[in-house]
Amino acid sequence: MSFIADKQTLEDLNLLGKYKQYSIFSLFNKVNTAGGEKLLGEMFQTPLTDPGAINKRSAIFKYFQSKQLSFPFSNNEFGMVDNYLSGGSSSQYLTALLALARKKLMGTVLRGEEYKNIQNGLQQTIVLLNTCKTFISQFSNDKDQPFYDEVLVVKNILDDPKLEWLATEQANQLSLTKMARYDHLLRYKMEKALATVIKTFYQLDVYITVANLAHAKDFSYAKALPKEDNLFTATALSHPGIEKAVANPVSFHQNSNMIFLTGANMAGKSTFMKAFGINVYLAHMGFPVAAKEMEFSVKDGIYTSINVPDNLNMGYSHFYAEVLRVKNVAEQVSIGKSLVVIFDELFKGTNVKDAYDATLAVTAAFSEYDNCLFIISTHIIEAGEVLKQQSNIQMLYLPTIMNGNIPTYPYLLQAGISSDRHGMMIIENEGIVELLESN
Amino acid sequence: MLFTTDKQTQEDLNIFGKQGTDSILSLFNRTSTLNGARILEEMFNYPLSDMEAINKRSGAISYLKVVQAVFPFSSELFDRAEQYLANTDERSKLSAERPSLEKQLTSLVADDADYKQIVNGISALIEIVKVFDSLLKNNLLQAGSPFKNDAETISISTLLTAEPASLLLQEDSRGRLTREKLVTYDMLLRFRHRETIQRILRYIYQLDVYITVAKVATERNFIFPKALPKGEHVITIGGFYHPQLKHAVPNTLEVTPDNNVVFLTGANMAGKSTFMKSLGIAMYLAHMGFPVAAKKLEFSVLDGIYTTINLPDNLGIGASHFYAEVLRIKKMARELNTGKNILVIFDELFRGTNVKDAYEATIAITSAFAGKRDSVFVISTHIIEAGEILKERCANISFKYLPTRMKGTIPEYTYTLETGITDDRHGMIIINNEGILELLKKGKETVK
Repeated sequence: MSFIADKQTLEDLNLLGKYKQYSIFSLFNKVNTAGGEKLLGEMFQTPLTDPGAINKRSAIFKYFQSKQLSFPFSNNEFGMVDNYLSGGSSSQYLTALLALARKKLMGTVLRGEEYKNIQNGLQQTIVLLNTCKTFISQFSNDKDQPFYDEVLVVKNILDDPKLEWLATEQANQLSLTKMARYDHLLRYKMEKALATVIKTFYQLDVYITVANLAHAKDFSYAKALPKEDNLFTATALSHPGIEKAVANPVSFHQNSNMIFLTGANMAGKSTFMKAFGINVYLAHMGFPVAAKEMEFSVKDGIYTSINVPDNLNMGYSHFYAEVLRVKNVAEQVSIGKSLVVIFDELFKGTNVKDAYDATLAVTAAFSEYDNCLFIISTHIIEAGEVLKQQSNIQMLYLPTIMNGNIPTYPYLLQAGISSDRHGMMIIENEGIVELLESN
Repeated sequence: MLFTTDKQTQEDLNIFGKQGTDSILSLFNRTSTLNGARILEEMFNYPLSDMEAINKRSGAISYLKVVQAVFPFSSELFDRAEQYLANTDERSKLSAERPSLEKQLTSLVADDADYKQIVNGISALIEIVKVFDSLLKNNLLQAGSPFKNDAETISISTLLTAEPASLLLQEDSRGRLTREKLVTYDMLLRFRHRETIQRILRYIYQLDVYITVAKVATERNFIFPKALPKGEHVITIGGFYHPQLKHAVPNTLEVTPDNNVVFLTGANMAGKSTFMKSLGIAMYLAHMGFPVAAKKLEFSVLDGIYTTINLPDNLGIGASHFYAEVLRIKKMARELNTGKNILVIFDELFRGTNVKDAYEATIAITSAFAGKRDSVFVISTHIIEAGEILKERCANISFKYLPTRMKGTIPEYTYTLETGITDDRHGMIIINNEGILELLKKGKETVK
């Protein structure tokens, strides 16, 4: 079963999108080849739910991060070779030879391009395969590395005696028969094998690029645990897309499965929630995360409600849109899925009494599901006083510190419910009521 | 004293709008002449705060609406006249000497552009003055016209009986002018009486604005508000609606010194912002002496309007929404302190902070506002609890709300103002209707 993250979640967390500024995909999309980009896109589309698979992938990243390699090809070189190899050749050597002879003749008599193209493609392929061979020799003997099996396959293909000539031959110095033979070999006899080589190199492109990025950004790797534990810990979790982001520790377990988050508008509630969501998502991809010592039990999916859009066309108010979103999540939770759920400023679009009642009722009902993790933020701090009684809810807040009458925000989580009452203080500082009553 | 308002207010009410979008100005911006459009924009920039000036302007426009006046000039005449008058270079003045043979020969071969412009300009001015004269005689100065008592109109009409206009009036607009006449007129119109001519033109441009606005009033069924003396502090507005909305629902509001604060509640979609914008726009136009989207409007003249409907967070300088609101209130408090009578419109006061703060701040600020009996306040909020306290504390607050009716599980909005504080508790009803809590409870049991 694949990891669930619906459209709203992907948008809230700004995960996908090659052309979207600051999307998490574009943060990682520094790969060299088009094939690598496609593979990276697939990884973003389908996070994993098996701890073994996640840990294996993150081990590969970790390995390549330790090797500090740089990918030896540009997109252009790879594109040309991929093009040449996928062109296909005749299944019979003899017909292939005749066809090539015809092309060569056409080339001399009528200045046809085809022969020249084949000669070029062959030459490029020779150079590329030679580079591949040298490149993997850097780590193909390391039997303990997690990518060993895949690399071994490639090594065996490239060491095939049929390809021995690669080390010595140059395409523009070949006789017609030799060229026809090599062309037939590469494009027909070994077509499948070479496709595997190319595919493995696309993978290497992703692994090396992402690993190097992780090194540059000082990201770490999360350890996936079995679903049943319902654990989540990280000592320093931050938003991967923000430079110099402030990091916070986060910890959940079975008996402490909900964070009730309060704080002023600018204190960084949304950023913290997004940071958590993004890192959960990246961790399920086996990708490096912007957190230290992160361990997590795999989940079935993630639901967020951070910027619920009004659906004015359908006549839904903001409140109703939120209710529908909450219902959607409730349905998923109630059929036993273990999910990560993030609700930002629940029920802000309604009057205070309703918001209070609704926040209280919904939060308490959700918190019963100890196979899920919840972060719920609100302005209704009064609801926190009641929810405090429940031992499985962690009360956390992001403080505002008044520097004279300018509020400053440290973005560091504190235990408790926000008691920031700077609102009236600011009004008093500005002396507005006195101003109005003065005459 | 100038009518004061600010950029935030003009943006909230969409007075000028962004380039190329529909705005309140664009409703009226259909003048025939370019200079008319400039005067219109000036009027929008500087609403009036003088009762007589307002009533005079609205009286004039209203008269033009009744007589269904049309702008009788072709707008191309003004382009010609303005182009001609713009050239103040003495050297281009037509000289009385007969042109040299050489010059005559050149003009046979190629048109002399300068000369042509002068001839064009003079003939345009002759046409303009003639049409204007008949407009004055046959329309504006007829019995019953408010223009008859207008000092500016009277002095303009006397200008037409003196040089140079009187000379132009005798010309046959179709006949060719002799060179001698052209020389005389050029000297008179472009140099000696230049300012007189420009004054007449400006009057015509203003007339263009009035006639255009009258036409808009007819087409859109707008009415003309009546300005009352400043001291009375009343606003009676009936059947007003948002002029840019199709199928807008009209509302009625009454403001007196004993009732000068409107405390508005209602659900998010119930139409609070639209109500506030409609009121702001009507009052803004009324202070320009313009027709408004209402059935009736009588108002004591105010010194200004300040609205806060879409206040932008100024994230760049690190000020929160709440702080932006506080600074805005402080600005208004300063204005109020100078003894000005202003209309203050505040949508969702203190939405950017926690409930306790918002509750206390709303009470503190609203009751302080209520102490200013000479001004008018319309304040909307989600903090309906603050209303209960204010009810006890201040006698001059009128409580209004925009209701939500539940039709099954779907909320419907009447957009019609009612008296009281909203007690819409549809939030929990909607949640219960959707069965979220049961869903979670049942799910829990089956999972276990």
